Amino acid sequence: MNSYLYSINLTLISTHKEKITTFSFVITEFLLIVIAIQVWFRTTMASQEQWLLENGNLKGLSKENRHGRTAHNMSSSSLRKKSDLTLVSKVPCNFLRQLLANLQEVFLGTKLSVLFPAIPLAIIAHCYGFGRPWVFGLSLLGLTPLAERVSFLTEQIAYYTGPTVGGLLNATCGNATELIIAIFALAEHKIDVVKYSLLGSILSNLLLVLGTSLFCGGIANLKKEQKYDRRQADVNTLLLLLALLCHMLPLLFRYAGASAALTADPTLQLSRAASIVMLIAYLVYIIFQLWTHRQLFEAEEDSEVDDDVRAEEVPVIGFWSGFAWLVGMTAVIALLSEYVVGTIEDASESWGISVSFISIILLPIVGNAAEHAGAVIFAFKNKLDITLGVALGSATQIALFVVPLCVVVAWMMGIKMDLNFNLLETGALALSIIATAFTLQDGSSHYLKGLVLLLCYIVIAACFFVSQRPLGPANLVNFGIQSS
Amino acid sequence: MADEYSDQEVCNLENGEANKGSGKEIWNVKTPQTMSSSMLRKKSDPMLVSNVRFNILRQFLANLQEVILGTKLAVLFPAIPLAVVADFYKFGRPWIFALSLLGLTPLAERVSFLTEQIAYFTGPTVGGLLNATCGNATELIIALLALYQNKINVLKYSLLGSILSNLLLVLGTSLLCGGLANLKKEQRYDRKQADVNSLLLLLGLLCHMLPLMFRYSAPPGTFTANSTLQLSRASSIVMLVAYISYIVFQLKTHRQLFESQEEDEEEEEEEEKAVIGFWSAFSWLVGMTAIIALLSEYVVGTIEAASDSWGISVSFISIILLPIVGNAAEHAGSIIFAFKNKLDISLGVALGSASQISMFVVPLCVITAWIMGVSMDLDFSLLETGSLAFTIIITAFTLQDGTSHYMKGVILFLCYIAIAACFFVHKIPQSESTNNLGAKPSIRFMAA
Repeated sequence: MNSYLYSINLTLISTHKEKITTFSFVITEFLLIVIAIQVWFRTTMASQEQWLLENGNLKGLSKENRHGRTAHNMSSSSLRKKSDLTLVSKVPCNFLRQLLANLQEVFLGTKLSVLFPAIPLAIIAHCYGFGRPWVFGLSLLGLTPLAERVSFLTEQIAYYTGPTVGGLLNATCGNATELIIAIFALAEHKIDVVKYSLLGSILSNLLLVLGTSLFCGGIANLKKEQKYDRRQADVNTLLLLLALLCHMLPLLFRYAGASAALTADPTLQLSRAASIVMLIAYLVYIIFQLWTHRQLFEAEEDSEVDDDVRAEEVPVIGFWSGFAWLVGMTAVIALLSEYVVGTIEDASESWGISVSFISIILLPIVGNAAEHAGAVIFAFKNKLDITLGVALGSATQIALFVVPLCVVVAWMMGIKMDLNFNLLETGALALSIIATAFTLQDGSSHYLKGLVLLLCYIVIAACFFVSQRPLGPANLVNFGIQSS
Repeated sequence: MADEYSDQEVCNLENGEANKGSGKEIWNVKTPQTMSSSMLRKKSDPMLVSNVRFNILRQFLANLQEVILGTKLAVLFPAIPLAVVADFYKFGRPWIFALSLLGLTPLAERVSFLTEQIAYFTGPTVGGLLNATCGNATELIIALLALYQNKINVLKYSLLGSILSNLLLVLGTSLLCGGLANLKKEQRYDRKQADVNSLLLLLGLLCHMLPLMFRYSAPPGTFTANSTLQLSRASSIVMLVAYISYIVFQLKTHRQLFESQEEDEEEEEEEEKAVIGFWSAFSWLVGMTAIIALLSEYVVGTIEAASDSWGISVSFISIILLPIVGNAAEHAGSIIFAFKNKLDISLGVALGSASQISMFVVPLCVITAWIMGVSMDLDFSLLETGSLAFTIIITAFTLQDGTSHYMKGVILFLCYIAIAACFFVHKIPQSESTNNLGAKPSIRFMAA
């Protein structure tokens, strides 16, 4: 624990940001509390399982064994490969063998591991001062497998900590990449990048991930009826509408007010209050999802013998090694995120596309790539509940947890971040939420629904592509096609 | 083509599949639009014609009778020559406008009839496609002519008004009349069709709102017209892709969602055969389209004069009057089907027409403008886009539960009255530049 603290502080002090140090203490305290809770749960869970066995409650027992088998876990698990242990068993020394098996499991256990070399390349590019757009591109590529590995490690840890804490951990770390990018951008006072990347993440989950999943699922299952439980979709839609209200009120407040100077402070206070409200809503949602109404959110039973799912009931790496890997990977994600946030303007100028397009469209596609692939695969298998759980759950997490958390963190750091995401972005968000709500409200799906959502995303992407707002008006002339 | 269908029928009979499919195959394309328009037809009376001796003459007269007199709207046909005469002899321009409007009504209905006849010969898929395109022939032709005369605002407002009219006026009056006529019965319809159409309309709404918000959110002083134009053109391509997939969805993969309800009465059975030949129908279609083009040219040319003379704004005429005329035939048919408690057909007419215009006619106009070098974008100004947004949302909510009663129809109809009142009092100044009739985003709005 001490070494972890030290390494984080070392990274952060090097950027001369004292307030991040404070925040790092908060995070480590949070993790300590988490570990304490899981130890407590391990003892209580053991007694609870015995009680369940005595009562003959078979269904509950099998679900308890699945620990944190949320939709996220199941979707990411489709990207895993079974590790081939025969290679490692030839190594004579036992300790070395364990270490290599561990390494193989963690590094090679995913189809995305081809992208791992991008990480050292990005670090080299940064240290040797290669073109900054290269640093940006390589960091983006490197973040993709890391995000997936963090999700894998969280799932492994969840086997030890019990379902509730496991679910909590999963929910938090599921969007670790977005959270870390947001906090770094906040520290460098790039508030617009924070806002746009989080907004883009919500849009990407609601329209891109959901749209492609429903489309592919619809095409693959043309003859079958595709149904899903609409109550889960309803809960998520309701939470997203609350988030939308909290975004629209500061926006309307600013337009209804007399001038910018008079409305800036009240808007900030309103945003902070709204953030606390959203965090309360998210807390209640977690209680609802993991405790009182679990049965609404259970992942579907796998009736067929699905090797990937059955084989993973036993964790493949130990608790402390999983924990250590998680800390390490989070540190690497932090490093790459720092590169991304630092080089975003240069990449934008060099590639000729606006910062808003990169933040809203490119960054979230990278951060969501693993979940995206998983959601599509489950839609192919006609398991729409899981797909919806991934896409909607992720959108809800970001809208109700990451965004207000950033506002609160900015409050602590003394940075003025409010919930006013400007007219165009908030309007696009409003229409996305309304379109998704209408799409999902009847409990069945077909490919046209997915296609329309996907086309909505393309239109919004085109809108931000032509939007050159952060740059000067001189760029508009170069960009436009002259109409005869 | 006939062998294919008889084989399919036999196959269906063998499988004991007493589903709707077997009967439907013979009828080729019985979309809601054709069924609604067919309510306005009269059975032609061959007795009169059989007295004439010459065979060719008899056939020709039978043909004529079928086409010209085969509808209850035929009383309005004399308006067409009157309109042409008025134009030549330079009567008051408002007269030309009004007579052209009256003349367009029966023509729209006849075009739909001819398309249905041609569909008997071309098979279901092409027939469906033809039907979908020509169903809104009047709006399309008025739009293209307005584009040609560079009256972009008339074009935008007439298309917008057509969507509003379909969603609120046609649907509202149908649900209202159907609800009043069937007070004791439960009125149900298949909500899947309504859902698909609502979703497409929401995509259309997104494509309209993004250029609008783009223009408002730009920092004051920046020139956004180019970006808005590119965005509109890209959105139009996206909308056309959506429409094509909707056609594939409707006619190929998910046909069963859109089958019209079974008709039990005798009169529908008799229309299994085409009543006029393919080439005669085709030539009539070409002729009628030419006349529609002519009358539309009069309408578009005289709209300002009529507006000045009658004292109502151009926007009111474009948004309210023109679409009522263009939709009159479908409107009547939709109400009649609602009376008979066949809401699926009413919804098919109203929603299908709105989707067609929103997803096909509007983007087609943008692309045609692009080819012609005219700067038309999808930015329909704040008031119009706001009404459109509210209309789509309220219609989607109304139709989402699969049942109906007269109160729903009343609300939709009153919404339309409110919007019509809004445009009645909204006097846009007749400015020189046709590109900027809409309200400018006020600079003080942006100062925040």
